[in-house]
Amino acid sequence: MTQRRRLSAAQSCSQSARQPGTLVAQEEDDDPTFTQPSTSQVQRGLDKLTTAQVDQKTAEVVQYFLVKDQKKIPIRRADLVKHVVKEYRNIYPEIMKRAVRTFDQVFGLKLVEIDSKNHTYILVNKLETVEGASPIKSPTNPKMGLLFVILSVIFMKGGVVRENLIWNTLKKLRVDPGEKHEEFGDVKKVVTDEFVRQRYLEYVRIPHTEPPEHEFRWGQRADMEVSKAKILEFMGQLHDQDPQSWSQQYREAHSTPSSTQASTSSQR
Amino acid sequence: MRRARGGGDEEAPRQNGSSSRRRGDQQQSDADDGDSAFGPADLQDDDNDPGLRREIRSKYRDLINSVQQNREDMLSPSNNKLTEVLEQANKLFKDVRQAREAALDAQLLVVATDLGKEKASQLFAEGTAFDPTAYAEHLLSFMGLNRLEDGEDEQNGLDGYLPQDAWHRVARRAECCFRTAPSFHYMMGSFHAEPPPPKQRIERQKKAPSKEAKRIMPTQLKKMDESHQEATEKEVERILGYLKSYYQDDPTSPISYYEFVIDPNSFSRTVENIFHTSFLIRDGLARMYLDSAKLPCIAPVEEGEVEAGGSSSRKQCIISISPKTWRELIDVFDIRDTMIQPSNTD
Repeated sequence: MTQRRRLSAAQSCSQSARQPGTLVAQEEDDDPTFTQPSTSQVQRGLDKLTTAQVDQKTAEVVQYFLVKDQKKIPIRRADLVKHVVKEYRNIYPEIMKRAVRTFDQVFGLKLVEIDSKNHTYILVNKLETVEGASPIKSPTNPKMGLLFVILSVIFMKGGVVRENLIWNTLKKLRVDPGEKHEEFGDVKKVVTDEFVRQRYLEYVRIPHTEPPEHEFRWGQRADMEVSKAKILEFMGQLHDQDPQSWSQQYREAHSTPSSTQASTSSQR
Repeated sequence: MRRARGGGDEEAPRQNGSSSRRRGDQQQSDADDGDSAFGPADLQDDDNDPGLRREIRSKYRDLINSVQQNREDMLSPSNNKLTEVLEQANKLFKDVRQAREAALDAQLLVVATDLGKEKASQLFAEGTAFDPTAYAEHLLSFMGLNRLEDGEDEQNGLDGYLPQDAWHRVARRAECCFRTAPSFHYMMGSFHAEPPPPKQRIERQKKAPSKEAKRIMPTQLKKMDESHQEATEKEVERILGYLKSYYQDDPTSPISYYEFVIDPNSFSRTVENIFHTSFLIRDGLARMYLDSAKLPCIAPVEEGEVEAGGSSSRKQCIISISPKTWRELIDVFDIRDTMIQPSNTD
């Protein structure tokens, strides 16, 4: 295994004079210094491989993403390169391009980089869920209900809330972070750990607070996946009010491009 | 504007304290103007009295605690508690002389301004304000809360029971707001161990009766076999006896086979007679031949002839008889009586 890595590093060495990233990549586990090969390097790499080989590698990458996304935890580029791409890392951009296309055309999914610094990816659905489209209703996950409540409160309160507001609201819904809930178990852990790792929420410490307090915001995945307009619609139904009566939230839901990306596909 | 008095190092904090305090005020309350004049003598006494110092510090700490503990209360737009806290702090501040107390004052202000910021953001929202409590109430109804009709029966301050699928309902309704990528799973699914157990149970059930049956069977069979064999042998011998005796009565006149085997009273005994007679023929103890009328006749074989006639002139045939034929034979041959008496063991 290590021999192979050395060989591939040697290969890429011969292909280009300076690639300090891949040289260092020999030794460590994480490969934090993976640098994107340039277009000419990619082209040279492609010339040495058959289409079948590239397609096969692309398929492996696609499968890796699909399986890793089951838990909804973002996928790191370093893991991808280490476990799947391996010696094809010199044509990494080409593989990613093809993978994105496959997801788009075959699965109707978007492969999105949510963190350009740490290079982590998530899969998001391109298609809207249409009411009554499928007669088969897959089983619902009650955690999504919990998440929805939290996200909607944050949104209606302007995007940032102190954690106590969330805990108090949940307590009124018979979900107490101090007690074990029969549906959710350790509620505090689910909300502050699981949802945060999945990037649905952000849980940030507020400075100068004693005892330490945190605030909740929408996470990057929520920004991509959740439609603010639809939340407002539900609010209107629930309170028997016109969604437009919350004018500030209405404006936010229907104006900013990031929220329309999630809400309507008609833009495309 | 407060007149700065006293030692050098108290000046800076005091100034900072007073100016930020004004910014923190939401409502323009009249801050105490620096009308109080200190005499140099009073100053010195207050400065040095440790009891007073302690008292001031403790009051500051109380104020800070009250703000932190009653946060939600102070946030409510319906009261002016925050302003009252600030007014109290102002009064306390008059007696502040040392850095320690001033630091506490500063801490109180950090907490108070934070609260002030939040109150301000509440006011800023245009349109209908959003009340999480009302939201929670509506959600409970949506989830299908069964409110108890008797309002006095409150368990832990909560009325009603939430149904089991309460959160599933919310999740179902929320589905359309999410554009989650569906989780990928292989269609064949994971290996499920469920089918084997029922099969095992069935197998076991089947095995049990058959085992018992087997256990019983051998003993029964043995008995039957023995009795069968014995019965057959005995019967065959008996019939041989009859045959011989009839033959000896009249060795010259041939015994009609049909007359010999047929029992006009019972078809089944006729069949048994045929069966037993066939043994005699097989063993070479009797022989069948056709007489001049081409009708089958039966005669015992002489003692000496048994082995000689054994292997050479053997012929086989299959005899069948039906009740109809049986009755016809009875009519044709006018058989009134059976030649082979039924045995008593039957």
